[in-house]
Amino acid sequence: MSKSITTSAHDASEAKDVSRRRFFKVLGGASTVALAAPVMSDNAHAGESKDEARKSRYRETDHVKKFYSTNRY
Amino acid sequence: MARMKFLCDADRCIECNACVTACKSEHDVPWGINRRRVVTINDGKPGERSVSMACMHCTDAPCQAVCPVDCFLTTADGVVLHNKDLCIGCGYCFYACPFGAPQYPKTGNFGSRGKMDKCTYCAGGPEADNSPEEYAKYGANRLAQGKLPICAEMCSTKALLAGDSEMIATIYKERVLKRGYGSGAWGWKVAYRETIAV
Repeated sequence: MSKSITTSAHDASEAKDVSRRRFFKVLGGASTVALAAPVMSDNAHAGESKDEARKSRYRETDHVKKFYSTNRY
Repeated sequence: MARMKFLCDADRCIECNACVTACKSEHDVPWGINRRRVVTINDGKPGERSVSMACMHCTDAPCQAVCPVDCFLTTADGVVLHNKDLCIGCGYCFYACPFGAPQYPKTGNFGSRGKMDKCTYCAGGPEADNSPEEYAKYGANRLAQGKLPICAEMCSTKALLAGDSEMIATIYKERVLKRGYGSGAWGWKVAYRETIAV
């Protein structure tokens, strides 16, 4: 009798323990995903996507052409 | 596709440091950081030479190769930019760079370092072009405005060339063919009516 009480109490605490573990497991997994997402994503370079950040910024405007011509003297 | 480069014509550089000052002013560079410096060899002796130095925006940049958080990116026009949000201030790029380009602000005691800062070729950073966030972190984005780096644009003797590598190489070749090698600073012959031996 006393053995069965002990066993059921043990089972209950084990179940509680397992659910608590599961809770922390889920919490840990979720936080890992949340932390890794910005690093793994293509938007690692804030503001612009990686392709956009790598785009060419140089344009041969009149201003630039004037700079080249004044440097030829 | 244009490939951005700097080229300093050492025969013309007069060590005025205006490029250094203009860079600091244009980008609000904090105290203790110089994105550009003028290096003088044989200072005070006949035949001294000065070269204006900053990030050389290397192809296969060593700073990029050693960065543990991969915060560098090379743009399609060959400018090496970095992301200050990813930088952890480890200092590896400083040791890897052969030109001493990466700089660090002193943010506290015991040698702690802040985010790395270097020449951006006046091309800002990974933030949206010409946004206030971009200016606060990296300074002005003159390239996106259709201009060239301020250091080269305001050089009084036209010693510092910037722009498309093929174009500035052509300009430099024209100069060398016209004046010959080692002819001294621009206007030297006019001022002193003599040439200098190299």
